[in-house]
Amino acid sequence: MKKVLALLLAFSLVFSLAACSSKTETSSGSDSELPKIGVTIYKFDDNFMSFVRRAIETKAQGKAELILNDSQNNQATQNEQVDMMIAKGVKALAINLVDPQAAPTIISKAKQADLPVIFFNKEPSEEAMASYDKVWYVGTTSSESGVIQGKLIADAWKEHPEWDKNGDGKIQYVLLKGEPGHPDAEARTKYSVETVVAEGIEVEQLELQTGMWDTVKGKELMDAWLSKHGDAIEFVIANNDAMALGALQSLKANGYFEGDKFMPVVGVDAIPDALEQIKDGLMVGTVLNDAKNQGGATFDLAFNVANGKDPLAGTEWKLDDKKAVRVPYIAITQDNIEVAEEAYK
Amino acid sequence: MFSSISEKMKDLNKKDVLTWMMNNAIFFVLIGLLIVIISVSPDFVSMRNFRNILAQASTRVIFALGVGSIIVAKGTDLSLGRQVGLAAVISASLLQAPDYAYRMYPDLPQLPIILPILIVMIVTGFFSFINGFIVSKFKVDPFIATLGMMIIVYGVNSIYFDRPPYGAQPIGGLDPRFTKFAQGFIDLGGFKIPYLVIYATIITIFMWILWNKTKFGKNIFAIGGNEEAAIVSGVNVVKYLLMVYTLAGFLYGFGGSLEAARIGSATNNTGNMYELDAIAACIVGGLSFSGGVGSIAGIVTGVLIFQVIAYGLSFIGVNPYMQFIVKGLIIIIAVAIDSRKHIKKK
Repeated sequence: MKKVLALLLAFSLVFSLAACSSKTETSSGSDSELPKIGVTIYKFDDNFMSFVRRAIETKAQGKAELILNDSQNNQATQNEQVDMMIAKGVKALAINLVDPQAAPTIISKAKQADLPVIFFNKEPSEEAMASYDKVWYVGTTSSESGVIQGKLIADAWKEHPEWDKNGDGKIQYVLLKGEPGHPDAEARTKYSVETVVAEGIEVEQLELQTGMWDTVKGKELMDAWLSKHGDAIEFVIANNDAMALGALQSLKANGYFEGDKFMPVVGVDAIPDALEQIKDGLMVGTVLNDAKNQGGATFDLAFNVANGKDPLAGTEWKLDDKKAVRVPYIAITQDNIEVAEEAYK
Repeated sequence: MFSSISEKMKDLNKKDVLTWMMNNAIFFVLIGLLIVIISVSPDFVSMRNFRNILAQASTRVIFALGVGSIIVAKGTDLSLGRQVGLAAVISASLLQAPDYAYRMYPDLPQLPIILPILIVMIVTGFFSFINGFIVSKFKVDPFIATLGMMIIVYGVNSIYFDRPPYGAQPIGGLDPRFTKFAQGFIDLGGFKIPYLVIYATIITIFMWILWNKTKFGKNIFAIGGNEEAAIVSGVNVVKYLLMVYTLAGFLYGFGGSLEAARIGSATNNTGNMYELDAIAACIVGGLSFSGGVGSIAGIVTGVLIFQVIAYGLSFIGVNPYMQFIVKGLIIIIAVAIDSRKHIKKK
């Protein structure tokens, strides 16, 4: 009999682990008064989404019981989690799709259960959004990050006439592009330069290459460009901060940022490392994708519809013609760096 | 503490009851898990949850039965997940709704569902046949042969996936007939049986007959148990290895099509790492990497255990990262208990 006990002990190890940890889960305990809201995140360990998740959790405190799921970057897993949450009796779903094309499947599940759905951060197609009256979206306009970056470049350029090293009035720029074909990379590349031109500044593109969002690639490209063009380069535009930081490394190694040798570099994302560089005056600026407000808006809408109210009731958000709330990007420079730092608290 | 447990386990087999318990340890794990889940959240006991778990386990059972047959014949197949991905992408590309704007083949007529599924099964059957050929003819270790195939199939799939007119876009807008093929259910007066469960049941019965009632089944067990002995007693090892790999390929093809229809879209990353889930389920279900041991019931139980973990632990709100730890522990504990009985055998 002792042996049976020993065997059971081994099992209970596993089970107690499972049981104990269930108590640490979800922000607001299991008060049955609170409405349940089912949330899936496409991947828990995605840097940006982890901030969005934190914002949702913070906002849900004491208001709703969250059922949080990590879809592990697998749409099949996510579909299963949605089935599970519906079985658990959630009042609303907040879904960060793994694969935007899979929205119709999620919508049909929600429809069968007559549940409202808020998609966030990954936008379903227009047809999918139109196929159900209880579906809304929270996200950004991807072109906007480019526009904001362009403005940032134009403003900084006008403020610093000394950056026009050859005095021809044109910006000679190099551009580090993200993954080709990626909607953000294409939009940022197009709109940042177009916006600068629209501000009445002439530009000349010296180089444009893909750095695949990667710091090391950004550095290697910048190394090559510096040896090719040297001081003829007047501005470094990067589709994201990781590549901008790579370029910064290269510039430092080539003697920039010592004495009065300076090169303006801008990125997008406002990752903490980039904020440090902006504080130190090495990077000119970046564009913040506002995780706090994306998470906040997602929760606001989900909470409202879970209670059977209008999605926008009591909020300042506005819907566009695609039933979407667009959270604006924010330009970050040394002057307003605390806005970005706040987003990571 | 663990050493004392294993000390005690040595004596365990002496008594018949305890031997029985050990041999069926895996069922106790499943029951134990259910008890924990239900005690935390009594509303877990519902027809709906039961149905969800079975439906979710369905495609996984199909994959596990495929790779399970290979494991019994002392092989393994790491290319499973990527083959599932290839099957999902091809079947989805051939079965997009005619009015969908971003079709991979804009001029493709609406095909009968069965045709793309058969095409896909032939394709994955072909890749798996090559696996079997390399393993049986060139005596390449199955781990290495199928590792190579895993990478090749991913490459093939990516080339197929990332091309004009729309490039590397997830393949969505599936034909409603196709999604219904996987997402639909039979309604018996409020009692809904998902089609997926029916397919999985049919395949399970088919595989059970194949394993237990045919020469094919006897021979793969013979090959896995002792290849030399099998050769001496006149078993055509090459032929049966080719058959078992190809059969697995057919199952991946069918299951992969279901996977695409169930998800509602496919990318070249669909099915990634499914091989590890399937192999883990087989091993937890009592199959041995040294071949020649195992049962269909064991494989199905193994799959169900992982599905209950995944579904149940999410249901009672266990931290997602913690679920990985529990899953890993279950694999190790289950196999540790299981290997004791094999040691005893030798």
